[in-house]
Parts: sequence; structure tokens; C-alpha cells
Amino acid sequence: MSALLSVQGLRARYGAVEALREVSLEVRAGEIVTLIGANGAGKSTTLMCLSRVKSIAAGEITFEGRSLNEVPAHRVVGLGLAQVPEGRRIFPRLTVFENLEMGAYLRRDRDGVAKDRAHVYDLFPVLRERSRQAGGTLSGGEQQMLAIGRALMSRPRLLMMDEPSMGIAPILVARIFDAVKRLKNEGMTILLVEQNARAALRLADRGYVIETGRIVLSDRAPALLENPRVQEAYLGE
Amino acid sequence: MKSPRRVRWVEWALLAAALAIPPINWFWMRMDPAGAHDFVGPLRQVLIYAVLALGLNIVTGFTGLLHLGMAAFMAVGAYAYGILTCEIYPFQLSFWPALGASALIGTVAGLLLGAPTMALRGDYLAIVTLGFGEIVQDVLKNLDDITQGTQGINPLPGPVVPGYAFNSQNAMPWYYLYLGILVLVVVGCRNLEWSRPGRAWLAIRVDELAARCMGIPVVRQKMLAFAAGAALAAIAGAMMASMLTSTGEPANYDFQVSILALCIVIVGGMGSITGVLVGAVAMIGFANVLLPMLAGQLQARGLVSQANVFGNPNNWKYLIFGLVLVLMMRFRPQGLLPRAGAARAAGKSP
Ligand SMILES: Nc1ncnc2c1ncn2[C@@H]1O[C@H](COP(=O)(O)OP(=O)(O)O)[C@@H](O)[C@H]1O
Ligand SMILES: [Mg+2]
Repeated sequence: MSALLSVQGLRARYGAVEALREVSLEVRAGEIVTLIGANGAGKSTTLMCLSRVKSIAAGEITFEGRSLNEVPAHRVVGLGLAQVPEGRRIFPRLTVFENLEMGAYLRRDRDGVAKDRAHVYDLFPVLRERSRQAGGTLSGGEQQMLAIGRALMSRPRLLMMDEPSMGIAPILVARIFDAVKRLKNEGMTILLVEQNARAALRLADRGYVIETGRIVLSDRAPALLENPRVQEAYLGE
Repeated sequence: MKSPRRVRWVEWALLAAALAIPPINWFWMRMDPAGAHDFVGPLRQVLIYAVLALGLNIVTGFTGLLHLGMAAFMAVGAYAYGILTCEIYPFQLSFWPALGASALIGTVAGLLLGAPTMALRGDYLAIVTLGFGEIVQDVLKNLDDITQGTQGINPLPGPVVPGYAFNSQNAMPWYYLYLGILVLVVVGCRNLEWSRPGRAWLAIRVDELAARCMGIPVVRQKMLAFAAGAALAAIAGAMMASMLTSTGEPANYDFQVSILALCIVIVGGMGSITGVLVGAVAMIGFANVLLPMLAGQLQARGLVSQANVFGNPNNWKYLIFGLVLVLMMRFRPQGLLPRAGAARAAGKSP
């Protein structure tokens, strides 16, 4: 199978700070790939580069066989690459329904949008119950569900999630990861960024480990779970 | 979706009051010709500033871009109207085509300034718009071959409607015409607020990064907001020039005008159309209608003499403005009529 997304030698900087030195990775259609690493390793920067929100210093990003290097941020979503940003970033004063509409901003097929909304409500029934409620009144976990649902509303072919478990009660994390699994079973491709390495590796097919802007390890997820280096640094064993 | 009922109610009440004021004023003047005060003429300023502030509301209220140079676009509109209508120039358009052309020229000016600056963030944009406001005045002053320098362009024609000629003696027809224009602008702003660009503006204001992640073309949408605001400011400028039969001097469109527009938006409630209308009535109504009327009444009754600078309420204007702003920021920072809680900006029900 050829790669849906392929990243070669990606570098990015914030002023003088080199945030990404050498990031190369691949996501194939239908996979869950996880990118794990400590705080500040460059996970979010990687996703922002892929969304083209952050400018890149060097490297090559290819999505569905086409280069994203010259594609502006607002085109990326339309091409099928959506991101659930770190910290959820829902619109707190808009209702759940309106937040989902915002995710479908680029779309004009009303019927398709309604169908995808129904799908999101199936995935996270609590969102249907709360559809008329302001997003800011939801719990952290529910807000994360809303953020995922909002990204799904653009009908992406690759969904990138930045630390969906951050600051969320364990029970809700489990529910969110279940939803991720279900999305995969429905054929979605997922790039999951996590600090919670154990949970992410249990869920994923393959994984990459990033340290100070460099991919230092990559393997099938079960193998990474067994890897002594990973166990020591990320699994606390 | 609709705006909340309270807001609708306020808007209809404002419109009813606006419609009823001229006959009441006329009746007062008939009953008490010596003591009565004409406030329909000055009230036109409220209508003009409401248009200006609604323009700023698109940029600052909807989209969250601090804009400190609205007066410059008002000047562009006024001078465009002047050059297009005044008999000393070859164009000599009448009111309506000139008003439309002024709006168009304002839009183009907005795009020209917006294109290189919309990628700037926060304070930088505020400084650029502030600088633009100063530059426009200087250009208008120094380009006197075209703009007549500090003289201003005059005389300028008033509006035309079939079967009636507007004249400076009778303010009432102007008032109703300008009220009509304002109503159209309000309806336009309402539609914009619920439109696709309106949703994009809201997303940009609340969380620009999230907006980018939704695929919203942030720079383009900011430019659109900027241009729409410039268009309304230009319309306000053309209305002003037509009413005064002159563009006035370039210094009439100085920083104070931009700040006044900003105060109206802040006092009314950022992003709230009804709030901006209330803000315009409160601020301009107070400064241009109530205070002069009070001054006139005090003098007419011999309570204070013209020579007494402290006795003239007009001279207290900015002190009172400042006080009101400080009190507002302390006790009601969201404005008199803030935008509704969970804004219904994301379009129609399923
Ligand atoms: N906006 C920014 N300005 C400057 N430096 C930044 C910015 N965002 C991130 N960084 C730096 O880039 C590096 C990578 O950050 P980030 O991608 O957020 O890491 P992670 O998501 O893995 O925690 C860190 O050293 C961080 O301090
Ligand atoms: Mg991060």
C-alpha cells in the first residue's frame, strides 16, 4: 500500500529555535499511526506544519501523491487533511451544533453535512443531547469529543489529533479512544499525537518516537511497547 | 436563526422613536417658536455616525481587528463624493451614483490598505491603521490642486428624489432619507453577521488558530471585513459631505473621529448591531444634540453668558465622555447591549 501521507526531512523553526530538525514519517491509508514524545519534543509543531499553519524551513510533505509544500493552510482542509488542535479550541459561546457547522465551513453539500453530523452524534451521543448547549459549558472530555466531531465535519481522509487525552478524566479518555478505534474500523486514517504513550501505542498500528525535533525510533506499535528504550523513557517501567 | 427577542424589541423601539421625533419637534417649534430647539438637523449626525460605527463594528466587533483609522475611509468617501459631484470637476454626478461610487472607492481603498497589512497581528494592525489615518489627512491637505487643501470641496449637491429638491433649510427630508439609508445598512449588517463571511469573522475573532484548522482563509476573510468596514465609512463620509454641502477641511477627519467611532462600538457592545445603534444615539445624541440644546436653553434663559467658558456645557463634552468610558470599563465592560450569549452565528437550523 502506498502512503497516504509522507513526510521527508521536515525542519521548522521559531525564530532562532529549531523546533523540528529531522522529521520523516509515513501514514498509510487505514492505519492509526501515533507520534509520541515528551513535552516540547515537537509533536504539535509537526502537526501544524502538516496543516500548513506553520511555515517549514525544509523538507517535503506529500499527501495523496501531491506536494503540500506550496499549499496554503486554508486549502489543506479541503484536500482532506483535518486537525484536532491541542487544547481542543472549540468556540465556547457557540452551541455544539454551531461548532459542528463551523467544522463544515468549506462544504456546500447540505445533505452530506447533515449526514456527517448524524454520524458524529452516533459516535458521541452526548453531543446530540447537548446540541443546543454552548460548547463552553461542556466538560473537558465532552469538549474534546466536540473538537473531534468538528474536525470530522470537514469529511477528512486523514484525521490528525493532538493529545486528545490531555487533562481529561480516564473514563472519558477510554471513550474517546474507543471512538478513534471505531473510526479506524470505518476506514478512517488517523495520525494520533500523544504524551500518553501506553494508551496510544495500544491503540495504534505503528508508532514514531520524537525527541527534540528528531524522529529517533519507529516501529510497529506492539514492538514499541516491548522496546526497552521506550519502556524506560515513556512507559515508566 | 434569529437574534434574541430583547434585541429585536430595542431595535423596533429605536426605529419608532426615530420616526416619531421629527413631527414632535415640528409641533414643539409651532407651539413655542422662540424657545424651541431644532434637533432634527443635528440628529442627522447620529445617523451618519451610526453608519460609520456599524462599519467599524464589522472590523473590530465581528472580526476582532483593532482599527484606529476609520476616519480616513470616511474622508475618502467624503472627498470621492466631493470630486464626483462638485461643479468645478468634470464628473458632476448626482447624489445616488456618487454615493455608490464613493462606497466603491472606499472599498478599493480598504483593499489597498488591507492587502499588505492583513497578515499583521494585533497591535501592529492598530498602528498601521492609525498611521494611515494621519497620512490621508496630510495627502488631502497637500494635494490641493485636486482637493482644494484646507478649503475643502464645495458647494456639494444634496440628495435627489423624484419630485422633491433637498435644501439646507429643511432638515426633515434629509433626516428621513438618512434614516432610510441607516435602516438598509442595519439590514445589510444583520445579513452579513449570519452569512458565511460572518461565521468566518466570528471564528477568527474567537480563535484564529482554530479558524485556520477549519480551513477558513483567514487573511482573505480579514480583508473582506476590512473592505466592508471601509465601504460603510465611505458611505458615512459621503452622507456627511452632502449634508454639509462641503467636504470640510481634511482635519475634520482626524483621529478624534476614529476614536469616537471606536467609543460608540465599545459603549454599545462590541459586535452587537443593536448595541452600536444605542451607542451612537447615546454618544452623538449627547454630544451633538443634547449638549448644544442645553447650552442654547441656558443662554436663552440668561442663566449663563456666552463669555463664561465653564458655563457652556459643550466645553464639558470630552470630560464627560472620558468619565463615561472609565465608568463603563469599570462597571460594564461588555457594553450597554452586548452580543447575545451563545451567538447564533453558525447558520440555520438543520
Ligand atoms: N509559538 C512558539 N514560539 C516559539 N517557540 C515555540 C512555539 N511553539 C513551540 N515552540 C518550541 O518548539 C518546540 C516544540 O514545541 P511543540 O511542538 O509544542 O512540542 P510538543 O507538542 O511536542 O509538546 C519547543 O521547544 C517549544 O518551546
Ligand atoms: Mg504539543
